[in-house]
Amino acid sequence: MENLLYRDARNYVPIDVTKGIDHLTGQIVMADKEAPNGYEVMPKCKNCKNFKDDGELMGICESSMSNPKFFAYPDMVAVTCEMYSNKL
Amino acid sequence: MSKKLKEVLANAGISMDLQSGGAAPEKMVDREVKREPHPRIKKLKDIFMDTLSSANNEFTYWYTREYMMHDCEIPVVRRAMALKSAFSHSTPAIYPGELLVMHKASYFRGSFPMPWLSEGFYMAHEDEFYKEALKRGSASVDEHSKFGQGGGNVTKSFGKVISIAGKFGMRQEEIPALLKLAKMWYGKSVDDLGNKYEKMVPEYKTKEQIMRSIICMFDSGFTLPQGREIINYYYPLEYGFDGIIKIAKELKDKVAGKADGDGMVGMNRLYNYEAIILVIEGMQKWINNYAKEAHRLEKITQDEKQKEEYKSIAERLEWIEHNPPRTFIEAFQMIETLHIGVLNEDAISGMSPGRIGLVLYPYFEQDIEAGRLTEDEAIELLEQDRIVKTSIDCFASTGVVGGVLSGNTFNTVSVGGLDREGQSAVNRLEYLILEASANNAMPQSTIALLYDEKLPEDFLMLAMEVIKCGTGYPAFMNTVIAQEFLMKQYCKEGMNLEDVRSWAIGGCLETSPSVWELLHLNGKEYWIPGGAGQPTSVGVHFLSMPKVLELVLFNGIDPRTKEKVYEPHNSKLETYEELWKQFKLYWQITCQVLTWTNNIQHDVWRKNNMAILNSLMKPDCLDKGHLINELGYRYNGTFSIESAGTITMVNSLAALKKIVYDDKSETLDTIKDAILDNFGFKDASEVNSFSLADQERKNNDAGKWEKLHFEVLQAPKYGNDDKFADNILLEWEEFFCEDATHYESLYGLNMYPCQISVSTHGAMGSATLATADGRLSGTTFADASMSAFPGTDRNGPYALLNSASIWDHAQSQNSQLNIKIHPTAIRGIEGSKKLLALTRAYMRKGGFHIQYNIVDSKVLAAAQKNPENYRDLMVRVAGFTQYWVEIGKAVQDELIARTEYEGV
Ligand code: SF4
Repeated sequence: MENLLYRDARNYVPIDVTKGIDHLTGQIVMADKEAPNGYEVMPKCKNCKNFKDDGELMGICESSMSNPKFFAYPDMVAVTCEMYSNKL
Repeated sequence: MSKKLKEVLANAGISMDLQSGGAAPEKMVDREVKREPHPRIKKLKDIFMDTLSSANNEFTYWYTREYMMHDCEIPVVRRAMALKSAFSHSTPAIYPGELLVMHKASYFRGSFPMPWLSEGFYMAHEDEFYKEALKRGSASVDEHSKFGQGGGNVTKSFGKVISIAGKFGMRQEEIPALLKLAKMWYGKSVDDLGNKYEKMVPEYKTKEQIMRSIICMFDSGFTLPQGREIINYYYPLEYGFDGIIKIAKELKDKVAGKADGDGMVGMNRLYNYEAIILVIEGMQKWINNYAKEAHRLEKITQDEKQKEEYKSIAERLEWIEHNPPRTFIEAFQMIETLHIGVLNEDAISGMSPGRIGLVLYPYFEQDIEAGRLTEDEAIELLEQDRIVKTSIDCFASTGVVGGVLSGNTFNTVSVGGLDREGQSAVNRLEYLILEASANNAMPQSTIALLYDEKLPEDFLMLAMEVIKCGTGYPAFMNTVIAQEFLMKQYCKEGMNLEDVRSWAIGGCLETSPSVWELLHLNGKEYWIPGGAGQPTSVGVHFLSMPKVLELVLFNGIDPRTKEKVYEPHNSKLETYEELWKQFKLYWQITCQVLTWTNNIQHDVWRKNNMAILNSLMKPDCLDKGHLINELGYRYNGTFSIESAGTITMVNSLAALKKIVYDDKSETLDTIKDAILDNFGFKDASEVNSFSLADQERKNNDAGKWEKLHFEVLQAPKYGNDDKFADNILLEWEEFFCEDATHYESLYGLNMYPCQISVSTHGAMGSATLATADGRLSGTTFADASMSAFPGTDRNGPYALLNSASIWDHAQSQNSQLNIKIHPTAIRGIEGSKKLLALTRAYMRKGGFHIQYNIVDSKVLAAAQKNPENYRDLMVRVAGFTQYWVEIGKAVQDELIARTEYEGV
C-alpha cells in the first residue's frame, strides 16, 4: 500500500492549503508530501463505509436522513461525524 | 518619454513627496521604537507570517445539509438547527504553543463560504450566476478592486490550490463541493431573494445604474449583514453556557403559547428561546470537540511541558463548556471562543471586542491578588490574542474584502474612556494591552483610544510610544464628541448618561452604543461594558461624492459607461448655487433608493438569516425573548448613510466656484471638456495603473490643457485653514448631517451620517473621471473624510486641524483624519510630547478622530520595490492598520504620496 500523504494523516494539522504541522514531530510539513510509514489515517468521507463514490470528487452519504440522500465529498474530514464508520 | 503627473504637480507647487515643516534626512530612517513578543508568541507569529488565507467547506456543508432537511420548520429554529450542526461538526485545529485555542475553520487563517448570503461572486466568471451578479451591479466593484500581491493573499491559483475571489486559497479537492453547495442556495440566498423583492421598488432601475457606475460601493444586506459593532460577552461570563440554557428554558416555559399583549411577535418568543438553546448546544459541542482534541494531543505528545499545556487547555475548555470562567485565562478563552463563534455565524467585518480591559479586569485583579497570574503572563496572553485576531479572515467578494476592507476585519479594542461614574476608566490591564500591542505589532486588534481630558498622562505617553512603533494604533477618538452624538441618536431609545459612557468603537471608527452590566466574581461586583446596539455597518454603503458631482456635470449620464444613471436635470448650472442644488438633489435620490433596496435586503436577512448567537449575548434579547430581527436589542437606530471622497469633492467644488463662478476665468464647458480629456493625460487603464504616481501625459498631447490644469491645481484646497475651501466643507457637512436623518431604516428609525472611507477611495477613484480639482481619471480620492489630498496641505499640521474642525463633528457618527509623520519629527520624549500636544489640540478643537503613520516615505517606496523584504511592515490606511504587502497598489501609492510632516 502507498504511504499516506500528510494531509490524509490523523496527526497532521493543516496550517493552510499547502502545509501543516506533524503533531508527532512538531515539524512543519508539506500537505502533499508522503507521511512516514505507519502513520494513522485521518477519518475522511472517502474512508467511511457510508460513502458511496459518484466519481468527480463527489459522492453520496448513505447515512444521510434526507430524501434524496445528501451528497458527501471524499476529502471532507470526518473526525466530528458521529456516523463515520471506518472502512479501511 | 511622456511627462508624468508627478512632474506636472510639482510645477504647480504640489509635491507628491511633500515634506512639510522641514526636510527628511536623506538616509532611510527606521521607526524609533521596536519591540519583540514573548518567544512562544514569536514562534506562532512566524507561522502566521508564512500562512496563506485558506478556506474549506466543512461549516458550509453541515449548515446546508441540516438546513435543507427542515423545509417547513419555523425559520429561526431552522437556522439554529443548521448552526448547531455546523458548529458541532467543525474539526478542531490546535497548534503547538497556543495558550488560547480555537479557530474559525480548521486552518491557522481559515474561513469558509456562506452561500446562504450570496453565492454568485465565487463562481467562475463564465458562470451564469456571476454574469447575473455583474448585471445587477453587485459584481461591478470586483472589477475595480485589487488585493496586495503578497502576504497571505492567494491572488492566483497554483498547484492544487484554487484562488477564490482573488484572496482565499481552496484545495482543488473541495471545488466541486463548493459549486454544488453554492448552487443549492441559488434563488434562496439573501442576495437572490433580496434582489427578487428589491426589484419591486419602482426606482430599482436607478439603483442598478448606481451600482454599475460605482456611485455606491456595495449592498449591505447580503455582503456583510452585521459588524462595526461591539460584541457583548457579559451573559456567558456571568452565567456560563449551562446558565444561559437554564434561563432560556425557564423563559420558554413562561412564554409558550402566550402573546402577552403583543399580537405581532409575542408568540415568537417561544421559537426564539428554542433557537437560543440549540445554538448554545452547538457551541458547547464545538468546545467539547476541541477539549477532546487537546486530550488526544496530550496523549501523543512527547514534550512534557507541551503535554501539560494540552492538559490544561482541555480542562479549561471542559470547564467553560458549561460554567462561567473563574480565572483570567478561562475568561480570555471564553471571550475568544465567543468572538470566533459569532464570526462563524454570519459574514461580519468589524465585530469589535470593545473595552476588554474592563471586561477582563475582574479576573485579572483577582488572579494577580491571589498570585495565580503575573503581569508578564497576562501580556503573553494579550500578545497571543493579537495573532488570533489578525488570523481572522472574512469570506466575501473581492470588491468587499479587497476594494473596501483591504482584507482587514476590524476587531478593534478600545481603551481609555470613562467609567460609569464619569471618571477615567483606565486600569492596570489597559496599560498591559498597550504594552502587548507594541511587543506584538500586528494589524489586529487595532486599538482605539477613547480620549478624555481625565485620562492619566503616563497612559497617554505610553500610547505615543506605541504609535512610534509604526503600528498605526492607537487611533484617538474623542469621548466628548462621541457622547454628544450618542445622546442625540439614542436618547429616544432610552439611553442615559451612564450608558453613554460605556461606548466604544465598533469596526474602524464607528461610535457604537453599549451598556454596563454587573458582573459577579467571588462575591465582588464589577460594572463591565458591552455592546447593546445593532450593527452599524448597515444602511447605505459608501456613496462616492465625486462621482455624484460628475453625474451633475454630465446631466445624469455616466461618461465612463455611457449609461443614464439619473434623469437628466437639463439645468445649465449657470450659478454655483444651481450646481450645489443639483448635487444635493442627485445625492438625495441616491440615498433614498438605496435605503429602500437595502431595507429589503436586510428584511430578507432578518427573516431567514437572523443572528442568534450574537443576539442572545446582547441586552435585552435573552430577557425579552426577541432577537435582533424583532428589535430585541436595546438600541436599534444604527443604520447609516456613508459618504466617501469628501475632500476630493470639496476641492472640486472649490475649484469650480473659484474659476468658473467667481473669477469666471474659464467656462464650465471648458472644464467638462478637460475632464473628459483627462487634462491631456492617458487613461489610467491605458497606463495600466490606477495609481497617482504612474499617470502619464498622452503621447500626442500638445499641452492643450496645461494652463487649465495648472489653474485648477492652484485653486484653494482644503487643509490649509483657507476659508474659501473650508466653508464648502462646512456647507456640505451641515447639509449631509441633517439630510441623513431623513431616511428611515427597516426598523422604523431614522438613519445618521457616517464618514469613513476604509479603502474605497482606491476602488471608487478607479471608476471616476478626472475631477475639477485636477485629480486624474481612475486615480485615488483623498483618503478618509478629513485627510487632505496628498501634497495639498501646505500650511502645516495645525492649519489642517483648523480646516478639519470647521464643522460640528458631534453631528456625525464619526469623521476621520490621517496624518503621516516622519519618525525623526517625534524622536525621544520631547517628540512624544509634541505628538500628544498635536493630538490634544485636535480633540480640544472638537475633532473626532486622528491617527498617525509614523514612517519614512522612503521605506514605503522601498517596500513597494522589494516587498519580500517587508513582510511585516504595517501601515495605517484609513481607520485600520494593515500589512503593506496585503494592500493594493493604488492605495499603496496614495500612502506614499501623502504629505509627510517633518516637524509637528
Ligand atoms: S457518515 Fe459522515 S463520514 Fe461517512 S460519508 Fe457520511 S458525512 Fe462522510
